[in-house]
Amino acid sequence: MITRRHLLLGGGAGLLALSGCGPQQAVDLVLGVEPPTTAVNPAATLDLPAHVLRRLTFGEHPDDRAALLALGKTPESAVEAWVVRQLHPETIDDSVCERLIRRREALAEPLGELYEFKERVLLHELTAATLLRAVYSKRQLHEQLCHFWNDHFNVDMSKGECAWVTVAYDREVIRPHALGRFSDLLRAVVLSPAMLWYLDGRVNRVEGKGAKPNENYARELLELHTLGVDGGYTQQDVMEVARCLSGWTVRDRHQWRKGLVEFHRDAHDDGAKIVLGETLPAGGGERDLDHVLRLVTAHPATARQVARKLCTRFIADDPPAAAVDHVAQAFTVSRGDLALTMRALIDSDAFRAPAGFATKLKRPFHYVASCLRATAAHSDAGDALIDYLGRLGHLPFQFPTPDGQPEHAEAWTGTLLWRWRFAGAFARGALPGTRADTAALVQRCGSPGAVATHLFARQADARENAALAVAGDNALALALASPAFQRC
Amino acid sequence: MSDRTLVLVFLRGGADGLTLVAPTGEDAYFRARPTLAVKRGSGHRLDDRFELHPLLAPLGRFFDDGKLAVIPACGSDDDTRSHFYAQDLMDHGGHNVSGGWLGRFLRQAQGSGGLGVLEAVTLGSAVSESLRGAPTATAFTSLNDLSGDDDHALMGAVGALTAGDTLLGAPALAALAASERLDALRKAADHPANGATYPTSAQHGDTAADFAARLRLTARLIQARVGLKVACVDLDGWDSHFVQDTVLPGRLSALGQGLSAFATDLGQDLAAVSVVVISEFGRRVAENTSLGTDHGRGGACLILGGGVTGGVQGKWPGLSDDFLEGPGDVAVANDYREVLWPVLARHGALDASPIFPG
Repeated sequence: MITRRHLLLGGGAGLLALSGCGPQQAVDLVLGVEPPTTAVNPAATLDLPAHVLRRLTFGEHPDDRAALLALGKTPESAVEAWVVRQLHPETIDDSVCERLIRRREALAEPLGELYEFKERVLLHELTAATLLRAVYSKRQLHEQLCHFWNDHFNVDMSKGECAWVTVAYDREVIRPHALGRFSDLLRAVVLSPAMLWYLDGRVNRVEGKGAKPNENYARELLELHTLGVDGGYTQQDVMEVARCLSGWTVRDRHQWRKGLVEFHRDAHDDGAKIVLGETLPAGGGERDLDHVLRLVTAHPATARQVARKLCTRFIADDPPAAAVDHVAQAFTVSRGDLALTMRALIDSDAFRAPAGFATKLKRPFHYVASCLRATAAHSDAGDALIDYLGRLGHLPFQFPTPDGQPEHAEAWTGTLLWRWRFAGAFARGALPGTRADTAALVQRCGSPGAVATHLFARQADARENAALAVAGDNALALALASPAFQRC
Repeated sequence: MSDRTLVLVFLRGGADGLTLVAPTGEDAYFRARPTLAVKRGSGHRLDDRFELHPLLAPLGRFFDDGKLAVIPACGSDDDTRSHFYAQDLMDHGGHNVSGGWLGRFLRQAQGSGGLGVLEAVTLGSAVSESLRGAPTATAFTSLNDLSGDDDHALMGAVGALTAGDTLLGAPALAALAASERLDALRKAADHPANGATYPTSAQHGDTAADFAARLRLTARLIQARVGLKVACVDLDGWDSHFVQDTVLPGRLSALGQGLSAFATDLGQDLAAVSVVVISEFGRRVAENTSLGTDHGRGGACLILGGGVTGGVQGKWPGLSDDFLEGPGDVAVANDYREVLWPVLARHGALDASPIFPG
């Protein structure tokens, strides 16, 4: 039996700082082959496989590196093949994860049937499924983008009937379009029951002379979902867009065919409008909505806003302007093809800059998921995990304001104590329903010492080695709690 | 950032405001409640119109000291008289809003600063709806849920590893300090200060003892300076349709003894604390045929602590038939949001409209 003490200490030899994981590296070490040095000098070269496996996923599973390298003859060609697969998630068999999700039957119910469930049940099932997917899905980049778009197009299950319809929102609006076309995603969002409830679009009715539309959604559409706050629109544009969207509503749970989205012509302001300098003639009716969406999707400020947010998520909190321009251009040229846009981001110099390696602070959800992934943990994504997400302030589908959970590191540095406690409880096996498979971890990484290298994606430095060497049974917890593992 | 603590005590089930704060100055009260009325002169006198229920007498001295505000006829605009709808509204602080009013308050009070480790807690099994959307929130019933010897060595080691980190160094020191305060608190002897005596199971029953334990834990967190901004404690079981006189005394005594011990325990610290006691609605003025009362509208709100303007506050519509609402209920003369807002403002809230939209 391998104890946690043996796990990281590697016997009397201290940490055998193997590069990466897998039997080949272990053999190399035994044979005296110098392991490749990775990120010893962060400015030298980038360990590209390690970088994509950390930055574009919810954490590197012990098997991930070997599986990635098997995809090509060289690390570069293997990364290329991995990225192509990840950008086309339908080509990746994800049946193991899908089986886990299917057990949560409420999540598969059609929209109208969701209302039969208690709100708490749906919230719990969707939260658990979100955790399970982050930990177990092989479509990791798709999963990352689902989180990205759920932040960008934030809804909160505590508002109105979002309690019921958000399950359908995640399933039918965000997931199918996360790597699809931005215009399709946006249209699905705008006409979703969840967004119509969350930002009051359902009560945007203009009936009778002098009636004023409800501007809430029009404002957030321009400010957050498309052009961005400095995107060059005016208050007049907000009011005109609100008029264009008036009349779209959703049937509430007391009505027949609850959750049905429909257009009420008599509640639509059918006069002429001027949006972003373009005149929409009177009598447009329900076509006004698509006209507005065409205008905002094609607007250069939207390309910049989406590019800036993607770069902030996947490159750096303060991404270089050149990278944002590059990604915005790909968005424009591809007419909002999100896979091609992400491709441009991943190919950018900024994404591949060695200095950027392991510099992004994981947000709490990412941190929790990465602890589980990195240790090949078994988990039911039950209350023990969900409670920690609450303490860490990062429960999915429960953020109140439409700007979504913050991305920059400073918003999350106050969560350290709960991160550390989580690492301790998790590594100790004190979270009911969740446990790290330490024996399998050692076996997969090739040697106990390689585990630390796997977790940090580089050799542990002298301070880390010294701390881990005296950590005893806390070694795994310490490695997971350490600043190196807080980043991706 | 304010270092004050707001304690929300929610009386679930619709507490009878006319029993908590009895309008013994009105004959109509005795006509409507031939068997259930609080006897005139039996409780702590508030003014010519009202007295506290005798079992709330322990709170009398705080009223006399100007540390207790009593607001009769308090409630919301929800007139469904449904526990579910009325609690939902009062937890969230508006119709179709995101999150709870305390969650929005905490987000506003947070500004651009980082999160406290224990700034919002529910003393119970699940985080309260009113805290939804808070930057961080924790539910627990024991300090052992928050800190343990198992983590002691880990905290020291990871703190040392993180201390030199450009981004995480300073937050790590703050986290270590908080961790040490929680550890010290957990290990410290659990002796209430200032001679406070909390109700015990043997003397006052399990309801009172359980409520008291949660209040005492809240007091310990306040005394330990862990940065607690909001604590939520529920006191259930106020739905007294049937033989009210057997249902309510245990609750009243839990509330009176518990809050009195809590305020005594806090001593000087009470100056930076506000305890707000609310319920989703009050009950019908007239008692029913099974010696109980049915769902009504206006109830009673109590606010205890520093900075409170003591006394009977707000409007009182009276019990004459002309002013009753619907089937004979105390009219809601004091909207719960108007009552809560000055408290939130004292605790660092800047703008009422995002906290109570609409």
